[in-house]
Amino acid sequence: MSEPGPTPRADLFWALAWIAVGAAMFAGGFTMDRLERQHINPYTAPGLVPALLGIGIAVLGAILLVRSVRRGALAAADGGRAAADGGRLALALGLCLAYAGGLVGRTLFGWHVPFWLATALFDFASIVAFEWRDRRARGELGRGIAVAAACALGTAAGVTLVFQEVFLVRLP
Amino acid sequence: MLDGLVLFGRALAGFADPLTLLIIAGACLIGIVIGALPGLTATMGVALLTTLTLKMPSNIALIVLVCSYVGAIYGGSRSAILLNIPGTPANAAACLDGHALAQQGLAGRAIGISTTGSVMGTLIGMFFLAVATPWLGEVALKFGAYEFFWLALFGVIISGNLTGSDPLKGWLAGFVGLFVACVGQDPIHAYERFAFDNRDLAGGFQLIPALVGAFGFAEVLTVLAARTPKPVIRGFDTPLPRIGDVLRHWRTILRSGVIGTFIGVVPGVGEDVASWSSYAAARRASREPEKYGKGSVEGLMAAETGDNACVPGAIIPVLALAVPGSAPAAVLMAAMIIHGVQPGPLIMVNNPQFVFDVVAMMLYATIGILVFGLALVKPLLKVLQVPREIIMPIVFVLCVIGSYAISQRLFDVWTMLGFGVAGYVLRRYEYPMAPFVLGIVLGDLLDKNLRRGLVLSDGDLTPFFTRPISATLAAICLATMLANFTFVRRAARAAFAALTPWRKAA
Repeated sequence: MSEPGPTPRADLFWALAWIAVGAAMFAGGFTMDRLERQHINPYTAPGLVPALLGIGIAVLGAILLVRSVRRGALAAADGGRAAADGGRLALALGLCLAYAGGLVGRTLFGWHVPFWLATALFDFASIVAFEWRDRRARGELGRGIAVAAACALGTAAGVTLVFQEVFLVRLP
Repeated sequence: MLDGLVLFGRALAGFADPLTLLIIAGACLIGIVIGALPGLTATMGVALLTTLTLKMPSNIALIVLVCSYVGAIYGGSRSAILLNIPGTPANAAACLDGHALAQQGLAGRAIGISTTGSVMGTLIGMFFLAVATPWLGEVALKFGAYEFFWLALFGVIISGNLTGSDPLKGWLAGFVGLFVACVGQDPIHAYERFAFDNRDLAGGFQLIPALVGAFGFAEVLTVLAARTPKPVIRGFDTPLPRIGDVLRHWRTILRSGVIGTFIGVVPGVGEDVASWSSYAAARRASREPEKYGKGSVEGLMAAETGDNACVPGAIIPVLALAVPGSAPAAVLMAAMIIHGVQPGPLIMVNNPQFVFDVVAMMLYATIGILVFGLALVKPLLKVLQVPREIIMPIVFVLCVIGSYAISQRLFDVWTMLGFGVAGYVLRRYEYPMAPFVLGIVLGDLLDKNLRRGLVLSDGDLTPFFTRPISATLAAICLATMLANFTFVRRAARAAFAALTPWRKAA
């Protein structure tokens, strides 16, 4: 079953954002150093292409704006999109960002978190968290935790071994 | 012609040692598994494997990527047939008839047909890859700055027009991709653009971490956010292909192979459009169009031939023009550059052997999917039943370490995270990723050649519109964009009717 498409109101907000982004890009490109002191050909100014792309994005944003208004973006009733999967998404995003941004390559309380440990913790927590409901319903929580631990340790050991010993990558 | 055959023979012999054959087998198998698992796309697979093959010799690394690319596009048909979920977007058309056949207890036959179609499609595409690349390379030698500028814009506009459900959003995604390519040192004066005095940003965004984010992390979020029921697979008949299916549908195979290859050549369009176009063409030409969607052997054959023919087709412009024909081909192109191969118009002058190496890689990949596709039916069923909740965290670990391993800096991990979140949000609002990726890849080409062209013409814009190839590409870009506006279509219809009054009278 396919999800419903974005509403005209969502498109309206996106259109306004694109116009703002395009305007910012144009301003950034237009005010960029034209390297006149280096006597470069003015047609090779570094800001030329970003400024033109900014105009392009702003024009396309304006077309999207007109279209969304024509499709009823300003009408009072606009149901919006149901965020049925909001909880799972937040959990996935939180776990991924905590691992990649908060654990990998970080020093916590004066201790550098080894990559293998960060990986094992992330894998274990993710598998347990996303399988929790189904496993509990089937009365298989213990088995689920064991499977998660095995997968987490296997992944941590495998990835560390391959990247550190075979590809000679200095892990973060 | 004879030179080509000699180079092809040399390439085949070069890959024929036991270790390389073992690596090829492994790569095909990994590709099939990646394709078969819904949520793991060919682009994501090739991007992740690029990071895993960095330290390999270039030819071995590239054969791994080519085999996994072919394998993934083929493997996606497995879940399409058995679960009614396309393993990759390229296999959506295969769901219609493949799953209908499976529901009739003919899943084995459907697997046989998809394998036959994929093998035939890859072989047809491979033939055109060998024949058309040298020819296109020769034509491309006549390209100047004006033509390359239009080619880059053409790729983004066509890709935006054909890959999503809304061309306007496709173009926006493409333009944003072009802008992303502008971040960092500019290609002519090495001036730092939009770097905000950040040393990492001054180097620009690396393509592979950006792609791993946009296709890998975004997909991880999409799959984990949705609750997926445990797949149920029914028993089925033998998957061995029937020679009668091939002989009876030779026209469909040939037509779909040509359509798939041609769509592959068009920049940034890719396998899903190839598959649907082949399917639609087969239906129009069919004597039994009413069977389509209800288990038509011809329909499944057309879809699977078309998408796999697109793979070699998408590599033709990579080699001849340095312009990718699809999103996975964009990653492949980046991998070629990382491994010291410079694709583009000069490849037939500087490195003709490489073109035929790629043709040989295609042949080995074809043999790989044929053997594994038919021999490992039962183990692949087990793979399909592994819960996504176990696979996706592991995939994310590979996204992180793969992004980091290229330059061993955490900035690339942040790049992957940023592009992943942006990709997820954009996709949720129906902004397609293929033009975005193509924009990142082609941004440098567009930027350099617009400014070079302006210098050559001393600011005069007319050469951009008057040279034959430039004028053609400009006209296609303009017509493609305008054709999406109702008032333009209405005006064009009115003008056509006014110019051809006899049609109305008839």
